[in-house]
Amino acid sequence: MILPQPNLLHIATRLASPKLTLAGFALLGAAAIAVYQLGDSAAAWLAGPLLLLAVNLIGAVASNGVFRRQLPLLVFHLALIALVLLAAISRLTYLKGAADVTEGTAFGGLWRQVAGPLHPDRLNEVQFINEGFDISYKPGPLRDLTLNRVRWIADDGRERVEQIADNRPLVSHGYRFYPSSNKGFAPVLLWLPKEGVPVLGAVHLPSFPVNRFTQSRDWRPAGAKSDIWIMLDVPEDLIPADRASRFNAPQQYPLVLRRGDLRREMRPGERVSLPDGDVEYRELRTWMGYSVFYDWTLPWMLSACVVAVLSMGAHFWNKFAAKPWNREN
Amino acid sequence: MELELKLLWTAIVLYVLGGSLAVIGVVFRKRPERSILGLLLLGWFMHTATLTLRWIRLDHGPFMTMFEILSSNVWSLVLVFMIAYWRIKAIRPAAAVVMPILFVMMGWLMLSSPGEAHFPQSFRTPWLFIHIGFGKVFLGAVLVAVGLSIVIQSRRTLRGLACFQSLPEDARLDELAYRFMALGLVFNSLMLIAGAIWAQDAWGRYWAWDPLETWAFLTWLVLVFYLHLRSTYRIAPRSGSLLVLAVFVAAFLTFFGVPFISTAPHKGAV
Repeated sequence: MILPQPNLLHIATRLASPKLTLAGFALLGAAAIAVYQLGDSAAAWLAGPLLLLAVNLIGAVASNGVFRRQLPLLVFHLALIALVLLAAISRLTYLKGAADVTEGTAFGGLWRQVAGPLHPDRLNEVQFINEGFDISYKPGPLRDLTLNRVRWIADDGRERVEQIADNRPLVSHGYRFYPSSNKGFAPVLLWLPKEGVPVLGAVHLPSFPVNRFTQSRDWRPAGAKSDIWIMLDVPEDLIPADRASRFNAPQQYPLVLRRGDLRREMRPGERVSLPDGDVEYRELRTWMGYSVFYDWTLPWMLSACVVAVLSMGAHFWNKFAAKPWNREN
Repeated sequence: MELELKLLWTAIVLYVLGGSLAVIGVVFRKRPERSILGLLLLGWFMHTATLTLRWIRLDHGPFMTMFEILSSNVWSLVLVFMIAYWRIKAIRPAAAVVMPILFVMMGWLMLSSPGEAHFPQSFRTPWLFIHIGFGKVFLGAVLVAVGLSIVIQSRRTLRGLACFQSLPEDARLDELAYRFMALGLVFNSLMLIAGAIWAQDAWGRYWAWDPLETWAFLTWLVLVFYLHLRSTYRIAPRSGSLLVLAVFVAAFLTFFGVPFISTAPHKGAV
């Protein structure tokens, strides 16, 4: 017996099944809950339900004659298909991460990142230097405007200087760097081991002022036999609560260094001898934390949204202009 | 601040007088429409004055606290309803059901603290105003549709039938509600798009499935479901009006419920 071959229309009708729509939304809901529970690492799971919904919508558009009679409605649904597909692709190729960069140094990578499985890693092409920031505070203290000066190599290879801010990221090679509320002090220390090569490092103390009572960190440079505990002794009201102020480095306050029974207060330029080497406190700088985001689909998604809304508006306009609301059919 | 509150009280008293007159007009089969529109318009001017004074004093719009959000939404909902009231004369008695909905919001507003809140830098963008503006048109369009739907539902009773006999028949009201909901979908979609652009700049992501975004998406879906159902099947006006009410409930929870139980940074600046 020869079975009839299912034609394309039949397949499209099957794909347009409302049951598939419900299944797609149920899976999308489950994936959204997974993102809630597991965080961004589950974001790629959204791709499956979105692709399923896109296929379902393609089936509906292909099998329903109303779309061939009403052009704006067809355009709206095609834009919606493009949007759903782009959202799915976005979850496979995006990146979200965080980086901390010491004042006066170059970006050297992310300390935390979540990326889609197909993310085209081009972060090593990004080159910028954090040239310091200026943050104003309102009484509270409440962080107000954050301005961060960056020197960077643009995609065309030219060097540029830009002031980025809360709503204005640095965009390089598709990666968007937003200055975050995460920032603090970074004492620059020179470690001169008894054996081995000297190490110059900046220790990023916990974010300030949110951790103003715990401005300390353990540091173990290469060649050191144990951790060196360092603390910046800053006054509680460095950023006062009762008046407007700015973020400023407490240059006049000492850096406390402790290892075992040894405790020393150091000023910039001072050196302390330890059994396995010397530590020299060079200067106090700041560090800035960045939220990093990559998604090449953004302009395309926005375009699809604009087309969708315009065509939806045109569809309703045509439909409602044809007949007043208070007239019978 | 005292003057702001006095103006707000005056505005609310005028709104309540206008709304009460609408109810009395429906009950006693009178149509004091010019007086109702005059009272609402006067109240709205007072309300505009109080919002302006607060904006100047705080150097930011009424988008942060529950007091500000309720106040600005009462202002925009009254404005949208007044435009509908002015342009579509046939539905004017629906003010008797729309205004009591706004009375509830006004009561909530009067119980809210008029205190201030910090306006973060991430809110200082034109996209905030665009996002909020679209959201207000969406909610206003849904409110008018809800007013018409309540009229349809109240006509199930003899008393409701008598009170709203001067309004067009259910099928016509249902058609008009459908059109307002379609307008609502356009502006809800625009609100989501503008919000995504703002979120990208403010928090470095355009969509993160935070509670408010998820509820906004659910509201969009319920609205789309209603419009599809309404345009695909022949739904009786009474059933269609129940769906309109369901959309309103979802939208109301999204605008006034979720932002205040969520700990996400997205606090519903609507």
